[in-house]
Amino acid sequence: MNNEEKQQLDSNELLLKTLELTKKYGIDDVIAQYHLGKEWQIRFSNSEQDIIKQWEVDNLELFIVKNKRTTMIPIQTPTLKNIEEKIKQSLIYLENSPPSQLYAGIESNIQTPAKIDGLFYKKTENLIESGSSLVYKAIDAALEEGAKKVAGVLYFGSQNTALRTSKGFSGEFDHSYYRATLRAFVEAESSGQDLLCGRNLDNLEAKMITMGKNAGKIASMAVNPKQGKAGTYDIILSPTVAGNIFGEITDAANPLFVMLGLSPLKDKIGQQIGPDFLTIHDNSLLSEGLNARPFDVEGTPGQITPLIENGKLMNYVHNTSTAIQYSTKSTGNSTFIGFGSGTRLLAPYSSNIEYTPGDFTKNEIIEESKKPTIYITSNWYTRFTNQIEGTFSTIPRDGLFYVENGEIQYPIRNVRLSDNLLRMLKNITQIGKDIQQIQWWEVNTPTFIPTIKVKDGNITAATK
Amino acid sequence: MNTEDEDIFTNNLKLAELIIEEGQKSQLDYIEARYIHLRAEGYTLRNGLILGGGVTQSDGIGIRVLHNGNLVFLSTANMKAESLRELVHQAKSMALASKRKNPIQFSEEKAVETKWSTPYQIKFKDIPVEQKQQYFIDMDKKLLQEFGEDLPNRTIMVNLSHELKYICTNEGSKVRSEIMQPIIHTFNTAMGKYGTEQRFFGIGGTGGWEWFEQQNIIQSVINDAKTMIKAAKFAEPMKLGKIDVIVSSEVAGIMAHENVGHPSEADRILGREGAQAGESFYIDLLKNGNLGEVQLGNPEVTIMEDPTIPGSSGYYLYDDECVKARPRTLIKDGMLNELLLNREFAYKFGLQSNAAARAETFEREPIVRMANTYFKPGSFTLEELAEDIKYGILMNSFTEWNIDDRRYQSKYVGLECYLIQNGEITEKMVRRPILELTTKGILGSVDGVSKSTGYSHGTCGKGDPGQGVPVWMGGGQVRMRGIQLGD
Repeated sequence: MNNEEKQQLDSNELLLKTLELTKKYGIDDVIAQYHLGKEWQIRFSNSEQDIIKQWEVDNLELFIVKNKRTTMIPIQTPTLKNIEEKIKQSLIYLENSPPSQLYAGIESNIQTPAKIDGLFYKKTENLIESGSSLVYKAIDAALEEGAKKVAGVLYFGSQNTALRTSKGFSGEFDHSYYRATLRAFVEAESSGQDLLCGRNLDNLEAKMITMGKNAGKIASMAVNPKQGKAGTYDIILSPTVAGNIFGEITDAANPLFVMLGLSPLKDKIGQQIGPDFLTIHDNSLLSEGLNARPFDVEGTPGQITPLIENGKLMNYVHNTSTAIQYSTKSTGNSTFIGFGSGTRLLAPYSSNIEYTPGDFTKNEIIEESKKPTIYITSNWYTRFTNQIEGTFSTIPRDGLFYVENGEIQYPIRNVRLSDNLLRMLKNITQIGKDIQQIQWWEVNTPTFIPTIKVKDGNITAATK
Repeated sequence: MNTEDEDIFTNNLKLAELIIEEGQKSQLDYIEARYIHLRAEGYTLRNGLILGGGVTQSDGIGIRVLHNGNLVFLSTANMKAESLRELVHQAKSMALASKRKNPIQFSEEKAVETKWSTPYQIKFKDIPVEQKQQYFIDMDKKLLQEFGEDLPNRTIMVNLSHELKYICTNEGSKVRSEIMQPIIHTFNTAMGKYGTEQRFFGIGGTGGWEWFEQQNIIQSVINDAKTMIKAAKFAEPMKLGKIDVIVSSEVAGIMAHENVGHPSEADRILGREGAQAGESFYIDLLKNGNLGEVQLGNPEVTIMEDPTIPGSSGYYLYDDECVKARPRTLIKDGMLNELLLNREFAYKFGLQSNAAARAETFEREPIVRMANTYFKPGSFTLEELAEDIKYGILMNSFTEWNIDDRRYQSKYVGLECYLIQNGEITEKMVRRPILELTTKGILGSVDGVSKSTGYSHGTCGKGDPGQGVPVWMGGGQVRMRGIQLGD
C-alpha cells in the first residue's frame, strides 16, 4: 500500500476490498494473499562484510478464476487503484484463455487455522544493528579454527501474511526468520561449510560462533587433499548433502511433478522405496521450520502428512485441485510456485520436510564404516540425465573424506557422486540422530534431516 | 511500449534522478539508481493444454550506495518521492555503520549519457492473447502430429518480457534502455528402447513477436524432439575407451560458458562468491603469471565473450554500471587473456571495467556476469574435422551437466551422439556417452574448430540471492583428441 492508504487500510481491509473488486468484475474464485515486511542480507567474503542489502516486502498475490480460466497477478506496493487496473487487464487475458488443466477448485471447507507458537520474534528486526557483529564473531570463530579466509551470508526478516479467499477464509500471521551460511577456507581446495536457520533468536550469537567453528574445523581437516579415485564406496552424507539429494525425491512426491515427468515416484504409492527404518513427513507445523504456517494459500490448515513411513511411499502432497484429481483430501500444501519462466501456478509443494531421527551419532556412523567409505560434508550442482529414472550426479565441495576401518583416513578432492535417487534411497543403511534444519542455496525446501549412510554409491572422477 | 507505459516510465525515471539529487545532498561518495518498468507475459502448457499464465507489470528501483568504502543495496517498489528520499538516508546510515577494514573502491569510468534498445518490430503486447496462446497450442499439436506416442509428455514454457530501464549515477551517467526478450523452454519425455529420454531445451534471443517466425522456432522445437526420440529409440550403450570427440556448437558452448566463462569472473577469482557460486581455479593459474602469460589450452582455442551480438540472449550495449559493452577475449590462442570485470573488481586488478555488471531485476545488485560466450570459429568444415578420426563420436546435444565450484571438474552427458569410424560420421547412435573432464583436459585436447557456428540459449545462475540472466553459448564445433569416456 502507499503511505496514504496505509493510514486508512490494514491488511485485512485491503484484502476485503480486493475481494469486493473481484466480485464487481464477475470473478468466480479468488485467493488474495498479502505480505508486508522487510528482509535484509549481510554478505561477506575474505573475512569482511561485502554489502548489506534491504528489501521492502509489500506484495499482493492475487489468484483469480473465471469459467475455470485462471491467472496469477503479483502486485508490488498494491493500492486499490492499481489492483483494479490489474484485475481489468487480467480479465482480458482470462477471457481469451482456455481453461487451466491444473485447476479444479479451491478449499471451500472453512476450518480453524492450525495453532503454531514461535513463528514471530519481534527482535529479528534488531539484527540490522547487531547482525554485522554476529557475522564477525562467526568469522573470528572460523579463523580461530585455522581458516585463512571466510565467506558467507546472513539473511533475516519479518513480515505479516494475510489471506482471504472467495470461499470465506480469512486469516493472518506474523513470522520472522534468520538463515546463515558460512564457508571457511584454509587453502583454495581445503574448505568447510556449515549453516544455520530458524526463527527463535535465543542463543543466536552462540549458534553463529558454533557455525563458524564447525566450518573452520572441516576446512582444517581438509588440508592437503589427495585426488579421489573412481569406484564403489559406501557414502556418508552430511545433513546438508542428504537434504539436497533426498530432497529431490521428497519434493517430487507431488502430483504436478509426476504429471510433468519430473518425478521418479509415479505409480509408487504403497510401494516400499526405502528401508523400514526410514520415515519422512511433510510438516508445516514445525515452528522453527522456515515454511511453517497455520494455513496454506487456500486457507486449508497446516498439517503433518506422512510421505514415507517405514520405507513405504504413503502420499504425495496435495492442494484442493490435485486432491480432486486423485480422489483424496488436500494435505494443506497449496502454494504459488514459479514454474518455468514467467508463470506462477497454484499448485501443491512441500512445506517443511521432517525425518524421523535414527539411532546413531555421526561419529558412530563413521566408527561403523569399516569398508572403503566416502564422507561428503557439502555438495552442489545436482543435475539429472533423467528425472523419471532418478539418474543424476552431484559434486561434493568442501571437506570430503576417505573413511576406512572406522576412521577418517585423509581428505580427498575432485570426485563426483554419479548415481540414482531410487537406488540410493533403497540403499540407506544408517540414519543419524543429529537432526538439523537445512535450507540454503542447494536446498530450497526446509528439511530437518540427520547424517545418512548409503551403501555402494558410485563415485566418478575426471578422466583427463 | 504503448504511450501509457512510456508515460509511467518517463514519470518514474524522474524519481530515479530525485534519488541521485538526494544522494548528492547527503554527500554520498557514489550512488546509482536503477529504475525498471517491466511487462512480463508467461504461458505454461502441458500436452497442449494451458496449465497457467498471465501478464504482469511492475515498477521498482534498486539503489546502490558506496560510501566510506562500504557498499549498500536497497530496493523498493514504492514509487513515492518521500519514501525514496528516506531510503537514501537509510542507505547512508547503513554504509556508515559498516566497518570494512579494506574499503571498496570502483574503477574510474567515463560518465555516459545515452540510450540503446534491442531492435524489434512487433511488441508482444500488440498481439492478442488468444493468438499467442494459439501459437503455442499449435506448436504442441505439431509435436503430437509428428511424434504421437513417441513423445507422450510435452511441456512448453514461454516468457515474453519487455523492459524499460533507466540507470543514473551521481557521476553523471544516464543510460536509458529498452529490452524486448522472448524465451521458450520445452521439457519433453521420449519413449525408447531402454525406457525414456528427457531434455530441457531453451531458445531465446532479443526481438519482438516476429522473432518466432523469423527464427522458425516451431521447427527448432520439432527438430529437438526428433533427435531426442531418435536417441531414445536407436542409441546403444557402447564401451568405446579412449577416442576422439567432436562436440557441436551447443556442447562446445556450454563448455565455453562453464569451463572458461565462469572462472574468468573476477569476483570469483578474488573470493566474493566464495560461499555461493564458489571461487575459480584461475587463482592458481594467476600465481604462475599474468594475463597473457599463462597457457590454459592448445593454440587452436580462443574463447570470446561478447554482449554486443545482435539478437542474442545476452545482448546489451551498456552494462548495469553504465560502462560501454565490448567483446572480451577470455582465452586467446590458448593463453589466458582477459577476465570479466565490473568496476569493483576492475579497481582491484588495476584495470578498467569491461562492462560485465548485470542485475536480474531491480531487486538485485549488479554483479559480474557473462553475456554470450563462444569458441571462436576456426577453419574446418564438420567433414574435415571428422575425416582423420579413426574412432570417435560426434556429440550434438547434452542432457545432464555439472562442474565443481572452482570450475575445473566438469561433466557433460551426451544425448544425440553418433559414432565416427574411419573418418565417416555414421548413423550408429551412442547412448549417453559421458565426458567427465577437467578444464585443462578439454582445452588441452582441442586441435580443430569449425568455421560454421551456432548458438544456444541458457539462463546463467549466480549470486545469493540467486540471479538468473539470459545468455547465449556456442561458437564453432570443436574436435578433441584422446578422450577417455566416463562411466
